[in-house]
Amino acid sequence: MKGSALNSNGILRMISKFPRNKLPMGAALGIAVLYWLYIFTLYRIPSDKEIVNEVLRQGNVWKKNLTAALMFRKQLEECCDPKNLFAVTKQNTPLGSTLWYDGEFFHSLSVNNDTYSLFIKETPLQQALKKCAVVGNGGILKNSGCGKHIDKADFIMRCNLPPLSKEYIQDVGTKTQLVTANPSIIEKRFRNLLWSRKAFAESVKIYGSSYIYMPAFSMKPGTDPSIRAFHTLSDINANQTVLFANPEFLWNVGKFWKARGIHAKRLSTGLFLVSLALGLCEDVTLYGFWPFSVDLNEQSISHHYYDNVLPYSGFHAMPEEFLQLWLLHKSGTLRMHVGPCPDEV
Amino acid sequence: MGYSDPSGRDLLGNRSLCFIFICAFGLVTLLQQILYGKNYIKRYFEFYEGPYNFNSTICKDLRQEIMDVKVLSMVKQSELFDRWKSLQVCKWEMNKVEANAFKTSLSRCCNAPTFLFTTKKNTPAGTKLRYEVDSSGILHISAEIFKMFPDDMPFSRSQFKKCAVIGNGGILKNSKCGKEIDSANFVFRCNLPPISDKYAIDVGYKTDIVTINPSIITERFQKLEKWRKPFYEVLQTYENASVVLPAFYNTRNTEVSFRVKYVLDDFDSPQSVFYFHPQYLLNVQRFWMMQGVRAKRLSSGLMLVTAAMELCEEVHLYGFWAFPMNPSGIFITHHYYDNVKPRPGFHAMPNEIFNFLHLHSRGILQVHTGVCR
Repeated sequence: MKGSALNSNGILRMISKFPRNKLPMGAALGIAVLYWLYIFTLYRIPSDKEIVNEVLRQGNVWKKNLTAALMFRKQLEECCDPKNLFAVTKQNTPLGSTLWYDGEFFHSLSVNNDTYSLFIKETPLQQALKKCAVVGNGGILKNSGCGKHIDKADFIMRCNLPPLSKEYIQDVGTKTQLVTANPSIIEKRFRNLLWSRKAFAESVKIYGSSYIYMPAFSMKPGTDPSIRAFHTLSDINANQTVLFANPEFLWNVGKFWKARGIHAKRLSTGLFLVSLALGLCEDVTLYGFWPFSVDLNEQSISHHYYDNVLPYSGFHAMPEEFLQLWLLHKSGTLRMHVGPCPDEV
Repeated sequence: MGYSDPSGRDLLGNRSLCFIFICAFGLVTLLQQILYGKNYIKRYFEFYEGPYNFNSTICKDLRQEIMDVKVLSMVKQSELFDRWKSLQVCKWEMNKVEANAFKTSLSRCCNAPTFLFTTKKNTPAGTKLRYEVDSSGILHISAEIFKMFPDDMPFSRSQFKKCAVIGNGGILKNSKCGKEIDSANFVFRCNLPPISDKYAIDVGYKTDIVTINPSIITERFQKLEKWRKPFYEVLQTYENASVVLPAFYNTRNTEVSFRVKYVLDDFDSPQSVFYFHPQYLLNVQRFWMMQGVRAKRLSSGLMLVTAAMELCEEVHLYGFWAFPMNPSGIFITHHYYDNVKPRPGFHAMPNEIFNFLHLHSRGILQVHTGVCR
């Protein structure tokens, strides 16, 4: 504290000493403040308790609003074209084109023969999907009994290679059509696939013949592990298909939500999937999106349904994302399940 | 400018000097012909009745001729080839006394049956393993590395009766030695050579040990960081052969070599992976240095031959020939499968081969360079 006070005194003294410097310094300060305002929201995020109350007040009342859903989908299509652009394909990324990394400041990769051969031919989800479920990994899913509900959907998306072992089936279901895999997971859990690859090959078997969606071209260090995941699966002729996320799509979706007031360095995978689902499906239902440490009965819950490892703070803005999704829930664009699912379906 | 006497005659001038030189040259050539030619004439006129016995006087002489060449640079290459070629009329037989003496000295220096590979027994966890190249430093054997080692050496002294070590020399091409090689009890091969049907008639199928140079993995299989199946499929052609790698030669080799083990485990392959013990390789190098083979690094073929000498009763070498032409003077490719020359100055191949010819003459091992029947 003392140090900083001295420091600011010093700066002030410096400014008064050199009157000519006043203007640029002022401008710099002004920009700094604006930037600060941009990063840290002007409005206060409601506390966990207020959100719980809000969710409780809404209760189980939900009605689909077709016009809102259609309008939202149109907006998404205009900005991001999820159907054609969500994955890198041979069609939307021809040989010789440049992929600009969306998570790096100024980094790109030009598509050569080697990389081009990794891409899928054309976008795999051509026809419109009816009922989609996006499953987050929130601790709220634990003991929710939502497994059967989730399995009813036509297209089920999951985040970050979640465990689907026996003890969780009741709560999260068994089926998967698309699962994301963050390169950092490959690095941490599977030692970058440089050594034994069996653990990885075994752990993706549980997702059946699904798509594994990897943001390979978002961050520099993520590219090699993602491509290695592709090699691993193609070596063993696995049922799963690796899709590389299109950095352009991720960038556009990020801008889309930023305009709606989410101030984070990077959106969570869950929100990307929700955007994709909203662009592709008629009905979207979300499960396990609950980034708070207490459930609706004010009982404390774990961070994920399978563990309680907290993420880095300041990277994702989960509560803000939740509020945005809650607004969509209220408007009837999508349906969000919080808390246990009723037994009868 | 010649010397001319006042009478005007050319006594010791240009022309007579020239003449004298020519005469002297002719005389020397004639003398040579008489002295050395005798042998050839004798050989051509003798009635050839199948191969001679190893211990017949004529074979003893022929072998002595090769042993007389103490250093490779002492004679012209063609001269050595000629001597080697004429030795081919003799049958080979093991000289028990020489061979046993040689094996004893090998076991004293190198002791392959316990030290050839790193094992759990000779390299306990926590060992600080010194790399073969000194500057590469020391590797701490962690529990994970230790787990990859076999419990004990899989082979014992003189376990196999007849072994074949296959160098990959172009001399094997059209040799038709496949059957003979396959009839051996144990077959060593170097550096992942192709043994597809195309080559099988010359080199055989049977493989019990195959070595891989990590540089091959780096170049042909992208260090196994990308696809791994192509590599696995290549290894599968050797069926149940064990894979041996010089993992502890320098630091660059280690990771790649370990990855080979992981690949085979991942694909549930029954093939086992072994790593040469760096100390063994150093000892072998010192041993051959004393025998006069000097090189920055010995070839993996020589390593295998040295190991085979201890593990087998009888060692046969095929495809060990590092000269641009075969003993008859016909040009051959460098390998039986390609003609890619190695980096010069790294291996001392001609020296090693010359050394084998010596050992052959002493009855310690047999070098095959001709066509097999």
